[in-house]
Amino acid sequence: MDNHQFKAGAKAALPIVLGYLPVGMAFGVLARNAGLTTWEAGSMSLLIYAGASQFIAVEMISKGMVWFPIVLTTFFINLRHLLMSSTLSLYFNGNRIQTLGLLSAQLTDESFAVAMSNTSKIENRPGYLFGLQITSHIAWITGSVGGALFGGLIDHKSYGIPFALPALFICLLLLQIRKVHHFYIMVVAGIFSLFFKWALPGNWYIILTAFLASGVGIYISSKLKVEGIG
Amino acid sequence: MRHEILILILGMTLVTFLPRFFPMAFLTRWTLPERVKKGLEYFPISILSAIVFPILFFNGEGRMEIQSHYLLSAIPVFLFAWKVKSLWGSVILGMAIYWGLGFVF
Repeated sequence: MDNHQFKAGAKAALPIVLGYLPVGMAFGVLARNAGLTTWEAGSMSLLIYAGASQFIAVEMISKGMVWFPIVLTTFFINLRHLLMSSTLSLYFNGNRIQTLGLLSAQLTDESFAVAMSNTSKIENRPGYLFGLQITSHIAWITGSVGGALFGGLIDHKSYGIPFALPALFICLLLLQIRKVHHFYIMVVAGIFSLFFKWALPGNWYIILTAFLASGVGIYISSKLKVEGIG
Repeated sequence: MRHEILILILGMTLVTFLPRFFPMAFLTRWTLPERVKKGLEYFPISILSAIVFPILFFNGEGRMEIQSHYLLSAIPVFLFAWKVKSLWGSVILGMAIYWGLGFVF
């Protein structure tokens, strides 16, 4: 694996680290409050590595639920990664299965979005993506274990911490907007997502929005081509 | 580690890994038709929009309710990110505004 690419990827992960450390800490604190040990909380962050579903699992554990409904919920929450994995697959044609397994195991919303912000850097460069993802993952594990061990020391609702990841996502979204029709797709997707979140349970709104807004995007771009301004 | 928690963690790991792995493992072996590629091009914008907008208009319990601190922090971050395109800057600016708002109301 290319060392230079790896370092560049690790560097690109730093804004994610800033978000993952405090949110990981919050997870560690809540996991301890729900009766999990530090070791168990750390194992979850090491093996599962999926923020939203880890928080929900902890919530369900504290309500005394057994493993099966928690695993089922996790499955549906993380189904959205199918879409991200499909998108990433465009850039790793013909790579070895072991490489793909390693890269896909560490796929998160945040690392996906950073990877997509400049696709020329990831195209057939597993080292770059690996550097980006392993750095983010280490921050998540460090935050979780730190929170589980020293939970009470920092108020994770202060210092603007709750807004760290939303701010990251907003910037990543705007980095995707390179042409006028991208802006329209954002508006359409925003409206769809609010409607579906309001109308449907769970996080189906992400999956439905992804398909419908992409469909609208294809339609708009084909219209623009016909009129010769695409 | 307790037996029940071990099963839970391994189960969650498996069902999280599979949707992450399958498209990467199989789609990289095929050449996708142009139309599908075109559609995949718009997934990132759509997914990111679907993550960002509900944060501003839904509370933690999933009920629709304007999140004034989030919304007021998001507007300047939108403008900053649009003009400056800096991830670091956006995160720091957003955190600072959000933190400041906590003192105002």
